[in-house]
Amino acid sequence: MTLLTLKELTADIIGERAKVAGEPHWLVERRREAWAHFAQAGPPEWRRTDLSGIDPTALAPSSDTLVTIELDASLERLGVVAKPLRAALTSHEALIQRYLDTAVAPLEHKFSALRAALWQDGAFIFVPKDVAAEMPIRVRYHLPPIGHTTLPRTLVIAEAHSSLTLIEEFSSPDQSVPSLAAPISEIFAGPGSSVRFISAQRWGNGVYHIAGQKAVLEQDANLEWTSIGLGAKVQHIEAETTLKGNGSQVNWYGATFAGSDQLLLTGPWLRHVGHRAESFMQFKTVVNGNGYSVFDGMIKIEHESAATSTRLEEHALHLSPQARNDSIPGLKIDTNSVLKGGHASTSGDVDEEQLFYMQARGISKTEAKRMIVMGFFSPALDSIPVESLREELEATIESKI
Amino acid sequence: MSNDLVIKALHANIEEKEILRGVNLTIRGGTIHAIMGPNGSGKSTLASVIAGHPGYEVASGEIWYKGQNILELDPDERSKLGLFLAFQYPVAVPGVSVANFLRAALNAHRSEEGKDPKETAIPMAQFRKQLREGMQALEMDEGFARRYLNEGFSGGEKKRLEILQMTMLRPTMAVMDETDSGLDIDALRIVAEGVNRLAHPDMGVLVITHYQRLLNYIKPHFVSVMMDGRIVRDAGPELALELEEKGYDWLREELTA
Repeated sequence: MTLLTLKELTADIIGERAKVAGEPHWLVERRREAWAHFAQAGPPEWRRTDLSGIDPTALAPSSDTLVTIELDASLERLGVVAKPLRAALTSHEALIQRYLDTAVAPLEHKFSALRAALWQDGAFIFVPKDVAAEMPIRVRYHLPPIGHTTLPRTLVIAEAHSSLTLIEEFSSPDQSVPSLAAPISEIFAGPGSSVRFISAQRWGNGVYHIAGQKAVLEQDANLEWTSIGLGAKVQHIEAETTLKGNGSQVNWYGATFAGSDQLLLTGPWLRHVGHRAESFMQFKTVVNGNGYSVFDGMIKIEHESAATSTRLEEHALHLSPQARNDSIPGLKIDTNSVLKGGHASTSGDVDEEQLFYMQARGISKTEAKRMIVMGFFSPALDSIPVESLREELEATIESKI
Repeated sequence: MSNDLVIKALHANIEEKEILRGVNLTIRGGTIHAIMGPNGSGKSTLASVIAGHPGYEVASGEIWYKGQNILELDPDERSKLGLFLAFQYPVAVPGVSVANFLRAALNAHRSEEGKDPKETAIPMAQFRKQLREGMQALEMDEGFARRYLNEGFSGGEKKRLEILQMTMLRPTMAVMDETDSGLDIDALRIVAEGVNRLAHPDMGVLVITHYQRLLNYIKPHFVSVMMDGRIVRDAGPELALELEEKGYDWLREELTA
């Protein structure tokens, strides 16, 4: 199949290709609708995300997505499914039709429409009712060697009282030409389920990462979410946890490190809908060189919610005077029933007293700084259940200090 | 090479204000030497300057230890030379556990130029044993090692951790900056015993204190008095008792007379 650029593609071509690929009718129609939206929508009005270095319409989406999925055999025996999304269309079509595109809105802006229209493949994760999937499931997305555009999507369905740990990684070598990665991650945590979700973005230089991620929590569901952003040239992540069910809970930790020539934006939202739901968000940001990071977090407490407890924190550490971090935490409350609500944000250089204290014990300034940065990121790093991955991420962080 | 710490005509400022105005003092290797003095006399500044705090500017003078003018060394190099400062206000470092910090400090001391740090690093089992023994001697709970460095520690816990670090790093010259401040009697006894185990004759100690109290537990060989940024008197341990009894005013009067 020849690779066509976005400029050359049409709704008919997209529909025809989907049909040839054996996709069900409903999906073909969704793609066409999303494409129509993409074609007519103007560029997104993002004030801080600079997309001038890339022309997505000149890029050709590759014909497939490079994804590796690791599922321990013991989980398979319990009925846990982790397989490429395209393959799951055959085995789990009804579930996919029911959930796909219902968390991350496909028609919100030009890029969300693009993702919904052209996603090539991804990962389908399903944990049946009452099953505890203890071993971490790993999904790794890579960049295709040609085309340099990838639009993968992760769909996670955790049924009632199940549990799982999913690690989603985006990694590639440095790119000589600008490349686009536009992934979607959707997580559905059923009643009483427990989900740990670790999403680590560590693309090489030159990648533009424009992602939509959303988790929906049913009654008494519990989510531990870790968001790590280290790579890419530009990162624009719109993420949300919807605390839909009563008594649902989320703890969300973030670690972002923007080095020179990087712009890493994360916009994590906590949306409270259910009663007595509890949320805690703590994002840590390090900026170095002329790096630029943006934290655009928000707590949204909807009208129908009650007795919400929520707290949002962002802390930034500056390793160079040229580096910049914008922190824009917001709080929108549409109800009178809030139990606890608060946010805090701090920003500063590496503490001289900490450095001196560590140096006074023989530790070199470089090593002391490294330890302070790792310590700063420890809430996110400590949540990573795979030691080798943690070490890889630490090595990436270390190389950026 | 001498294990004496020799301070010569030391002048130091903080934010352009002169705090040390010509300190001359020798701490003989392996002896316990107390510096007493009223608040604001410059005692803690002296401790910080010996350790190399970047917030102080040394205007002139020298500090010699083991054949080097240590004012030319970074704080970590001073530590590796065998100097140790027990902080009056130990600093919290969130996310860095006590155990990891101690291991990093030990490994820094063991590192050798031109050698792979992995080769010189302390074997894990040996480290754990040393840490366990050190904590037991200071009556510290085992869970302590996993806590983040000084974060949420009580005054007593912080000071014990300072002594634990000293125990593990085995300095040859330790400066104790107001180590007695904020300690109850039990903690004071434990801390003092820790110092005494390491001190004389293997380690010289410079005890900086406002009160005589600590000197009941750590018995000095020499006592010097600091006032207005200078050492104004050198004497034996009897001077500490005299100061306790009579305060500092008589000495000031004697000096100005």
